[in-house]
Amino acid sequence: MDPIFKGNPITVLVLGICSSLAVTVQMKGAFVMGLSVMIVTGLSSFVVSMMRNSIPNRIRIIVQLVVVSLMVILVDQLLKAYSYGIEKQLSVYVGLIITNCIVMGRIEAFGLANKPIPSLLDGLANGAGYAMILIVVAFFREILGSGTLFGMRIIPQSFYDAGYMNNGLVILPPMALILIGCIIWIQRSIQKDLQEK
Amino acid sequence: MNTNGNFYTIIYSTIIVVLVAAILAYASLALKPKQDANVKAETISQMLTAAKYFDKATLEAMGNDKILEEYVKDINKALIINAEGEVIDSLDKAKSEIYTESKLKAQNNLMKSGKKEDLRLPVFIFGKGGKQVIVIPCYGTGLWGPVWGYLAFADDMKTFVGAYFDHESETPGLGAKIKDDPSFRAEFEGKTADFSSSRIFSIVKGGAPAGQANAIDAITGATMTSRGLNAAIEQWLEFYKPYFTAAKPAEKAAADSCAKAATDSLAKAAIDSTAVITE
Repeated sequence: MDPIFKGNPITVLVLGICSSLAVTVQMKGAFVMGLSVMIVTGLSSFVVSMMRNSIPNRIRIIVQLVVVSLMVILVDQLLKAYSYGIEKQLSVYVGLIITNCIVMGRIEAFGLANKPIPSLLDGLANGAGYAMILIVVAFFREILGSGTLFGMRIIPQSFYDAGYMNNGLVILPPMALILIGCIIWIQRSIQKDLQEK
Repeated sequence: MNTNGNFYTIIYSTIIVVLVAAILAYASLALKPKQDANVKAETISQMLTAAKYFDKATLEAMGNDKILEEYVKDINKALIINAEGEVIDSLDKAKSEIYTESKLKAQNNLMKSGKKEDLRLPVFIFGKGGKQVIVIPCYGTGLWGPVWGYLAFADDMKTFVGAYFDHESETPGLGAKIKDDPSFRAEFEGKTADFSSSRIFSIVKGGAPAGQANAIDAITGATMTSRGLNAAIEQWLEFYKPYFTAAKPAEKAAADSCAKAATDSLAKAAIDSTAVITE
């Protein structure tokens, strides 16, 4: 359970910021992206962990990269076939999961040293931690920026008639960074041991 | 076993790479038909959106099969013309044969390399609700990658009914507005392509002059994308010009003779009425 809150990859390790800024405009995209990262981190940790005793030490990063890319391309192809609209919306960011530090970081730090099942769980949990932050950020961005959730209208039309307007700033990446900053702030004020002296 | 020897390392990496390649090749082949169907439905939904038959979101909710059904129902004719504007072939309506992005790219390459005689340009004539809408594609380069789209004309062969654009990698929030911002698409509505002018249609940075019918405003902060899209539209309209202008005289003649008949009968009625008065 550690990676979901106490050791969350985004808010504590501050990894994977780039994609979390880009795909959190809408809940749907954030949800699919979170799920994809979960699957990729889980499965690639699992596979690398199974091969851990046979991987030549000198090329271990390359082997990890090959495994991760395999998973990412598979996820991308599956999304293209079964969820085309979302794939288009996520565009390059699915491919960029390869460069997401969370994936490689977990394989290096955990997958290479542990048995397959714990590695799988570790990968899944880290992916879930990432997904959770994505969904929280997307929740605020979508409801403030577009007045919708999962594409469904939440803020009633009468608000707009009364002069309420969607906040265009929230749609843009800088606001996502500020939101993530706020989440990190909240977490650090709860978890005192994270504060540097 | 020594897992750090050179020989072991080379063999190991070779096996891994071949294995991964095999898995990916299989996945790609197995999923190809499904992906192609998605691309096709997406392209059709872009055309239907350009023709203003549907909202893009409505089409997305409809699913692939229904989109194809709608296409077969709405399309009148899908023709292929050459650079002289002559109809040389037609696309299979029932199979909803269309031009996807890759096919547009091939045509664009032919235009660029000057092989005009090899061009096979598609013209989609929709007829939903008795009103004819002519949809043609365009393709060009934006700032980061290709941009393409569909222009829909009313049956006077020059007035825009609507348009829809797509892109591969334009900047989100700026260049990507050609696709995401409905108000940019809406600018096309009611504008005209002026085939007699040297500039058929233009997207003007800093705002189109008021009252100019063949120009619209460019997107703020997306100068290069706007320029690329403008070049794409102009280039493709240039190649469609023979078809569009050739179709016009016939229609104009029909309209003229119609008008003539009307004035004739009016004049006759006037004569009759004077005759009545003199009696």
